[in-house]
Amino acid sequence: MQRTRLVASILLLAAMAISIWRVETAPQPVPLAPTLTRQTEYCLTCHSELAEISPSHPIETFGCVICHGGERLALDADLAHSSLRGGRNPSDFSVVQESCGGEDCHSGSAAQARDHIPRVLRSIQATYAGAIANMRYTFGAQEDLSARMGIFAIQDPNPTSSSVPGLSAFDPSQETHPSLIAFSQNCLSCHLSSEPLPGKEYARLTGCAACHTPTAGTDLEQPLHRLTTAIPYTQCNTCHNRGNYELRSMHFQARSDQPTNRLDDYYQPIAQFVRCEWTLDCIDCHTRQEAMGDGHIYSSQKEAEYVRCYTCHGTLDELPLTRTISDPNDLALRLAFVNPQFDLQVGDTIIITDRGEPLWNTRRLPDGSYELLAKASGQRFTFRAVKGSACQQSAEQQESSYCHACHAVER
Amino acid sequence: MRPSFFHHLHPPTIPARQARLRYTWGAGGFSVFLLLAVIFSGLLEVFFYVPTPEQAPLSIQSLTFLIPYGGFVRNLHYWSAQLLVLAAGLHLVRVIFTGAYAPPRRFNYLLGIGLFVALLLLDFTGYILRWDQDVQWALVTGTNLLKSIPGIGQWLYALVTGGDRLGAVTLIRFYGWHIFGLMLPAVIIGVWHLFRVRRDGGIAVPPPAQRQDAERINRTELVRREALAALFGAAGLVFLAAFFPAPLAAPIGEPDAAKQAALAPWFFLWVQQMLRWGDPFLFGVLIPVGWLALLALLPYFTPAPSAVELGRWFPPSGRAAQLIFSALAVTVLVFSLWAWLAAA
Repeated sequence: MQRTRLVASILLLAAMAISIWRVETAPQPVPLAPTLTRQTEYCLTCHSELAEISPSHPIETFGCVICHGGERLALDADLAHSSLRGGRNPSDFSVVQESCGGEDCHSGSAAQARDHIPRVLRSIQATYAGAIANMRYTFGAQEDLSARMGIFAIQDPNPTSSSVPGLSAFDPSQETHPSLIAFSQNCLSCHLSSEPLPGKEYARLTGCAACHTPTAGTDLEQPLHRLTTAIPYTQCNTCHNRGNYELRSMHFQARSDQPTNRLDDYYQPIAQFVRCEWTLDCIDCHTRQEAMGDGHIYSSQKEAEYVRCYTCHGTLDELPLTRTISDPNDLALRLAFVNPQFDLQVGDTIIITDRGEPLWNTRRLPDGSYELLAKASGQRFTFRAVKGSACQQSAEQQESSYCHACHAVER
Repeated sequence: MRPSFFHHLHPPTIPARQARLRYTWGAGGFSVFLLLAVIFSGLLEVFFYVPTPEQAPLSIQSLTFLIPYGGFVRNLHYWSAQLLVLAAGLHLVRVIFTGAYAPPRRFNYLLGIGLFVALLLLDFTGYILRWDQDVQWALVTGTNLLKSIPGIGQWLYALVTGGDRLGAVTLIRFYGWHIFGLMLPAVIIGVWHLFRVRRDGGIAVPPPAQRQDAERINRTELVRREALAALFGAAGLVFLAAFFPAPLAAPIGEPDAAKQAALAPWFFLWVQQMLRWGDPFLFGVLIPVGWLALLALLPYFTPAPSAVELGRWFPPSGRAAQLIFSALAVTVLVFSLWAWLAAA
């Protein structure tokens, strides 16, 4: 009996010692009370090594939960992550409004240029309306090329004369033509809600992070905690230089190689390029409204894209449109602030597009030439306007093919 | 020694043969020990739990992860509560299979059944207090079952949930029932149950003249054994609390939306299984309550075991009760296993 009592006592003491040891050796909770939420969260207990996602989202201000969701008090990984928004990607369009939205964040007013989410949801990259309309028209499912369907249903309360008021969700089960069924099965892998094809060359996330998280060439299994507006062309390539569609069999012909030489490895062999088209990044010329939409729903990429060579270079008769920044709250300054490589100041004169969008990475120099900062690579270029040069191009013929006639590089 | 309250609980001597672990399993004593553990740990939790839908799951997370030893105390509460249901169930098995429900113990048997039901409801209300996604199915289904009762269903639902939908009032009612409305009767019936054991002549044994073994142990020896069992019990409980954390999930978003593919708490898995077969009133209310009534009335309609066969396992004169109980117990076990396998 005495011996049994000793065993029982030792067992109890051992169990208590183990309990105390487990509690005392557990990681010390690391609290963080972000100024935006004022609600203490303990994610940093495990994630202290994670790099801050961007200078625009400082951790002391945002913390983690405001974007990612999750259980802010839980120190058990499964529980803490059980209510994450969009898994590891809170910018996926299924949850983007909750994660990134908000009047002062990315679903505010158009006047304040904080309407990123409503714009991008109507953009051609998100709706894929152009491809769907083209295919449905080609195979007789609709009478013209005007978009009727998108990846998801979406409305525009204020359509323009050139845009469409709304799209219904493209439903492959309602299509009868075999090519359209094949299209829906094989060709819907590069809109902003689709998961990428397997392979490092296609590595991108979905939603905002598809472009703003530079995952190109990385292993998606290793999460990358970064958001940037300095998007390199390689990120665009995860969709825009992956291969081509075989229109007869409606299959995607993936590239077998990973492009290394920008000039020679573009997927359309007949395409022509001038120097700036293969030395700059896509976003150095293409504006936010072109890539992320202007809030209206268009039927094709052609209607969404409008920047031409003349936007920066002008024509024989006209210098490029410019604007001298006088307002310290000018959108251009806000955009430049996010990419601090370019110290744009009040008083600087920048190039603007036909629609008034600022090319904030440009500046007119005192000698009349212009300077451009490549947003992603940080390279600086200077260039001159066409006006006063030996160019003989008429002002009416400004499509890039006319410029390519003389300026395309051999490849 | 001057007599004290303690002497009311322990007789001066008890028969040695019936004081053995292989006879009692110590299940009743363990139940008392676990009840004390569950009350003590629960009292500590009361200082941290915030009974509102928004704060309840967060306060539990805070207790579990941030309050020093809070997780340990919660685990203790959880495990002592689960083991209490198990120990009380085993005690019931022992009582049935040793014929200890026979007169004059029939009323104490009823008290015991009442206590067992109170324990199940305490466990269920405690489970709901988590107010997280894993309890959502049981919360929605359990309260909706009340609605299925003809006539008084709506009234019962409003009584339990505090309105026509689940929300803050529901949670505070479950909280009230858990820490007060069920706890107080459980303690009172528990003490009454213990008191009645001695009142009804102590542990069930044959009349003195018919006992084969006249040996008895005194109360000092009994307490020594109880203390030893409590030591082992405490070690086991602390060990469980250290290594097996009590379950927890993300907070409930929309309380009225029933989550599919969720498991009921383990002690109601058998009801969940029956609910898959159709009519909620029949399978969720009528049959469980019918079985409970059958169980409670066993001593009243089955032949009483003869006095000479008491104090040992499986008295032949108690066969009817043993068979009916076995059938019920096996059915409940099989249905529970079925529900668990179906979910897995």
